[in-house]
Amino acid sequence: MVKISVLQHDLSSHTATRPGDPTPVSRNLNPLVHPFSRARERTRALNAAKMDRMFAKPFVGALEGHVDAVEVLAKQGDSISTVASGSWDGGVIVHNLSQRIQMARLPQGHKGKVTGLSFAGDSRLLSCGVDCNVKLWKIGSDEPVNVFPGKYAFNSIDHQRFSSIFATASTLVQIWDETKSAPISNLTFPTSTETISSVRFNLSESSILASVGSDRTFTLYDIRTGKAERRVVMQMRANALSWSPTFPTNILLASEDHNLYTFDIRRLDAPSLIYKGHVAAVMSCDWSPTGTEFVSGGWDRTVRIWQTGQGHSPEVYHTKRMQRVTSTLFTTDARFVLSGSDDGNVRIWKGKASERLGIVTARERAAVEYRSSLVDRWKMDKEVGKVVRTRHLPKPVYTANKLKNTMLESKRVKEERRRKHTRAGESKPKPERKKVVLVEQT
Amino acid sequence: MLGCACDRESRIENRILTFAFSRILEFKIFHLLSPAFAMDALIAKADATKPLYKKRKRTHPSDSKPGPSQKSDKTSASITKNTSLPTSLRSRTDKSADAPQYKHIANPKLRRSLVKTSTHIAQSQALLSDAIDLLPSEETGFVQAEDTMERTWRLSQVDIVKEAGGEAARGRLEMKLDGGPYRVRYTKNGRHMAIAGRTGHVASFDTLTGAVHSELQLGETCSDVVFLQDHSFYAVAQQKYVFIYDRDGVEIHKLKAHVSPTRLEFLPYHWLLASVGTAGYLKYQDTSTGQLVAEHRTALGSCSVLAQNPQNAVLYLGHQNGCVTLWTPNLPHPAVKVLAHLGPLSGVSIDPSESGRYMATTGKDGSVKVWDCRNWKGAVREWTLRSGGKGDAEVEWSQKGVLAVGSGGSVNMYTSPSIKTPHHSSSQPPLYLTHPLPSASHRPITSLRFAPLQDILTIGHAKGTSSILVPGAGEGGMDTGEGLDLYEGVKGRREREVRGLLDKIQPDMITLDPEIVGSLAPPSKLTIHTNGGTGSSRAAEIPFARLPRAERLRVSGKADLTEELHSDAESADGSDDTRKKVDNEAQEKRKMRGKGKSLKRYLRKQRKNVIDPAAVSNIFFFLYPLGFTVIHNLSPCIASVAIRAKIEKQKAERKAEIRKAKYGDEPQEKSSALDRFKRVSKE
Repeated sequence: MVKISVLQHDLSSHTATRPGDPTPVSRNLNPLVHPFSRARERTRALNAAKMDRMFAKPFVGALEGHVDAVEVLAKQGDSISTVASGSWDGGVIVHNLSQRIQMARLPQGHKGKVTGLSFAGDSRLLSCGVDCNVKLWKIGSDEPVNVFPGKYAFNSIDHQRFSSIFATASTLVQIWDETKSAPISNLTFPTSTETISSVRFNLSESSILASVGSDRTFTLYDIRTGKAERRVVMQMRANALSWSPTFPTNILLASEDHNLYTFDIRRLDAPSLIYKGHVAAVMSCDWSPTGTEFVSGGWDRTVRIWQTGQGHSPEVYHTKRMQRVTSTLFTTDARFVLSGSDDGNVRIWKGKASERLGIVTARERAAVEYRSSLVDRWKMDKEVGKVVRTRHLPKPVYTANKLKNTMLESKRVKEERRRKHTRAGESKPKPERKKVVLVEQT
Repeated sequence: MLGCACDRESRIENRILTFAFSRILEFKIFHLLSPAFAMDALIAKADATKPLYKKRKRTHPSDSKPGPSQKSDKTSASITKNTSLPTSLRSRTDKSADAPQYKHIANPKLRRSLVKTSTHIAQSQALLSDAIDLLPSEETGFVQAEDTMERTWRLSQVDIVKEAGGEAARGRLEMKLDGGPYRVRYTKNGRHMAIAGRTGHVASFDTLTGAVHSELQLGETCSDVVFLQDHSFYAVAQQKYVFIYDRDGVEIHKLKAHVSPTRLEFLPYHWLLASVGTAGYLKYQDTSTGQLVAEHRTALGSCSVLAQNPQNAVLYLGHQNGCVTLWTPNLPHPAVKVLAHLGPLSGVSIDPSESGRYMATTGKDGSVKVWDCRNWKGAVREWTLRSGGKGDAEVEWSQKGVLAVGSGGSVNMYTSPSIKTPHHSSSQPPLYLTHPLPSASHRPITSLRFAPLQDILTIGHAKGTSSILVPGAGEGGMDTGEGLDLYEGVKGRREREVRGLLDKIQPDMITLDPEIVGSLAPPSKLTIHTNGGTGSSRAAEIPFARLPRAERLRVSGKADLTEELHSDAESADGSDDTRKKVDNEAQEKRKMRGKGKSLKRYLRKQRKNVIDPAAVSNIFFFLYPLGFTVIHNLSPCIASVAIRAKIEKQKAERKAEIRKAKYGDEPQEKSSALDRFKRVSKE
């Protein structure tokens, strides 16, 4: 007797039992049932990369109000929406980002340029300017609460998060107390004759202070000892600096030589990484509160967002009307980026260009995550990688970039040739990171 | 002060990353305890949690006091205790062990991510194989003989239908139609069927419900029919052109580029409709964009045999001169061309059950051949048809690897292991099942199609179609995502259509090996290393173009290696030498072929005058035991041999020295499996 069995499918397990029910999904894990799985996944990845570029609409809006170039931006540490901006005409505006309203408007806050802004606790704002004054404002009132007169034009100001102490930068770094009208102490490196352009307190070790100056130096101070601890002289001057919010020993410098540098202050003989991308001087930088990315704005009229640890191919933001970017800021929710530029506008950008604002459903989020993981998996593919990497640049930036590359390349070739024609082993190529620091002083 | 800090922290902790704040708190506590300066405190703290460098170069005067050094990170230790996977859930064997390590890739970041990816792939494949083994799959049909004397082929359809019973028995169906010999085609999920009669009777219907979607009398010769992505469109190869009809039989397109077509195929993942005709042109048309993607002139005359490999979308053509050619859209010539039969081809089919590895062909010479597509040297198995090649023989594989051969008045079915094992005589493999057509008027058999996901074979013949039950032919497991669902609804079909369009693979990506997509390029044979890779850095940085010619040839593998072969021969012992010499001569001879340039000939002859070290070493080995010690008196060739021998000896001594330095005095022992039980002395 022969046993015979013929394939029969159970209808009830493959169709919905009741009209409203979803159709049951069956899976066959046999790979032969899924031909071209890799090729199809690659197509999906390519589509995902293209969609990511299609949805990339980073510009959210512009905050108007200044009649001259915006010089400085400051965020309030414990608020996600309050941001202050200062302008060349001496005006200070406190913006509310979520409502896009002006919480305070001080058209004549200073005489001349406002050079520094810093929030001092709840709804109080410190500003300094070239008129040799530091003013403490209560947000909402037109008159300053307090005025601290100084001897020299101030360039920068920073307030400690949890105390009444703040620091100003002029030809020297001065430490002030809100309750005292004269500086508590003056900090300067013994041989220094520089103009300090920016000063920042460390975010977790609040008695540490860093400054960059016009004599190409970057100096670390300790207000407990009341003196400058270390100083680093670099090839070119740095314009701005920012302490990492998550790694307290890390500091970011925006340099005049088109690069950004992260330093670990435990090891100041070389930067821990060089971030190359700008085609003109970098004017400002700011970390995201997550510490995984930071923003920089440059003289080349672009805003760039960098991933920590990836020294190349940043996200580039630009518009036709945006002029030299003098100040940039990451908002405290790490989702938005602000840029203040020479055209007098403060612009709001998304931190992630293709992110969707508003309510995102779970399915949508899952799809976005799937797409991003696909892109990440296939970014080594030639076509996918090209879509991921390519950014449209304004023509001046593009040509400047090309020119810069040509120059760097010719310099490299020349150096190589010179080395080849010297005696073997006499001159070794110097790593790029070792070229940055000229001398380190204590 | 601490309380104050905590208070502030609690006020704003929602706003900013807690990590940063935990640090702040840590530092504040540290301040209370330590009199050290803040900056040094900061540095010390950072060093304690994560040593940045092995050795710190700089030391500060204030750090002279040795602090408590923390070797392990307390924080992470406290976390791992509570977050690690319980041992019962950990996989026993490390599945990532067999994943490639990518040691040849220099960039550490890239290498790490590649290793991570391949480990992930290895793990998921292991999980997949586990799932395939462990999860209950839908059973497939079978015919089992309980007695060894029983023959399954004796079973008639009546017996099978009786045994099957129920819903499955409804698969047995005879359709008497008078439209001439019929071609049959199923949709991908096996639910809908289209038939096209030679006289122009075209119909499509639902095989489960029996509902007819459309029925057309076209009034001209129709030689083939094919469904596009699903049953809502089908293409018919008519006398002059290919036409596309929708489900209701409305003519949608006339594809004028496809002139007098004979066979059609649809590649579902590429959305390509391929046709071949009497002119011998193979044409690919993209059905999603309407563009004619490729047009290949086969130059082998009229062609009426076309099949696709579902695993790699390569099209197989069978020609009048007995050739089978494999085509892809991006190659203007066949990827493979095989002389399969001594006479015109009449049928080609590719086995879907073993990733398209086997192909079956039938020819008008009356033979059936099964080919291994990885090795085209000869058929794996071949046998002659019972009908002796009268009329066209059709051939078709099922999803599970049942081979049906229809010729003359009967269809024979064979199962896998016997037809794929090499066999020297041309005897028939054991029959699985056979089905004779009811009468001689039903001849010829023009089409054989297995229904996907069912145990049904539909035979198209002169009197219509007949569906028979073939247990064990169909795949049991359905897959909704791939459209392999017999009961797929309208919504599911629409969803799948959109997804299929989004995932459409570009026609250029059709290759013989579908796994080439996304795999790493093989490491290049061209390297810039001139001396074995471990040479001086200066040699390594010389670009290929600037190397001397000899080096360049060596690097690209075109150098004359006879000298090196000689040195090899010399190092081998005497017994092998004669054989090696013969090999060398043979190689020399082979090298000579086609190199008749006069200068080369001259050089070669010059080379012949040079003393062949291999030959000489023979003499030397021959002489040495006889006690020839004074070698200076011998001919210069013997002298050079002596020098060589000396060098060899020195080399061996040097090697021994190096080995001694490396492993010590005692000879290296081979490790045994019992080594793991050895007691290891602890220092």
